[in-house]
Amino acid sequence: MPTDPKALAYFAAGIGAGLTIMGGAAGIGRLAAAAMEGIARQPNAADAIRGAMILSAALIEGVTFFALIVTILLAIK
Amino acid sequence: MIASVLLAAALAGQPPAAHEPAPAPATVEQASPAAAPVEGQHEAPAHDAGAPHAAAPAEHGGEAAGHEAEGHGGPSEILMHHVTDEKYGTFVLGPLDLGPTKHLVFFLVAAAVVLVIVRLAIRSYREGIPTGIGAAVETLVVYVRDEIAERNIGHGDGAKYTPLLLSFFFFILFAALIGLLPFSATSTGNISVTMGLAVVAFLAMQLAGISKYGVVHHFTNMIPAGLPAWLLPIIIPVELLGMFSKPFALMIRLFANMLAGHMVITTLLLLIPLMSAIGLVFGVPMIPISLLLALFIMTLEVLVAFIQAYVFTLLTSIFIGMSAHPAH
Repeated sequence: MPTDPKALAYFAAGIGAGLTIMGGAAGIGRLAAAAMEGIARQPNAADAIRGAMILSAALIEGVTFFALIVTILLAIK
Repeated sequence: MIASVLLAAALAGQPPAAHEPAPAPATVEQASPAAAPVEGQHEAPAHDAGAPHAAAPAEHGGEAAGHEAEGHGGPSEILMHHVTDEKYGTFVLGPLDLGPTKHLVFFLVAAAVVLVIVRLAIRSYREGIPTGIGAAVETLVVYVRDEIAERNIGHGDGAKYTPLLLSFFFFILFAALIGLLPFSATSTGNISVTMGLAVVAFLAMQLAGISKYGVVHHFTNMIPAGLPAWLLPIIIPVELLGMFSKPFALMIRLFANMLAGHMVITTLLLLIPLMSAIGLVFGVPMIPISLLLALFIMTLEVLVAFIQAYVFTLLTSIFIGMSAHPAH
């Protein structure tokens, strides 16, 4: 079966983007669930929890973007 | 309006057959030399089969090439044209070409808007109780000072770094918001711009430690006290890596966030010509769906503009606090 190397790169980019998003979504989902639970138990601490949640979400998101950029480079190079 | 232009382009300029001859030469040209001999064996029969096919839409091929020269080729080119930089002119200064580009123009526009709005806010402040713009800016300034700078740097150093953090906050916010206007661009969607911001943040982190403890003590602060000596060869590279990866993460995060939103909006609008290439039955119902989805992402982008400005400022202040007060 003749395969174009570019086709494989696109294929890898698509699969990589999907896996990246799965990981990022799992991380941020767990984080948000825990934060919601925390706010429900302790509404007074909502502000502090929200700040910490945004910070952790940003860190997870940063790692996710590293992987996404790799996949984008696979697709456009 | 952009959607209708795209639809018109799909209906008038690009019959589905025109798509096929266009990518073919590109793949042949871009195949790497190492892969070429292997490819050649497979390519030969493929070319024979494609020859009668390619002869028929030769006119379309020329037309498509003309379109590509203008930057209105396939969907991926429209997408890249939307997010990449574009030269407006050249101004050679020594070895550098300092000509204005799309992102440079909107970078300066964002900076000018920040200056004008802050000046207006100061003016409304001088007349007693601030109203309008003054009150709006005051809310954000007080938030950055109290909730970001004082909380994360604090201990008497918060006020010193508040102006820097405010500059980051307002520039990133307005650059992202200006990028949402029609016919504009997000200058922070260019990795060079975010690298500039990250370099300033990096210098601020180092200066915060050096001005407080001196050069030597600042760097020895990074090593935890009471560490066994045989761990030093491990901890020093790790800490050096951490020192540089902090601003690197700041740079990538802002760049990718600004780029991703615009790419998603453009992709959703590009669904219209893609679906109408299959048939008008699919293309026309796609118009409201695409527009609604793009509108949703655009409103989300307004939120993202605030969140990213907050996150960049917050992380910078935390890192500055880490080097100014290494004990915790």
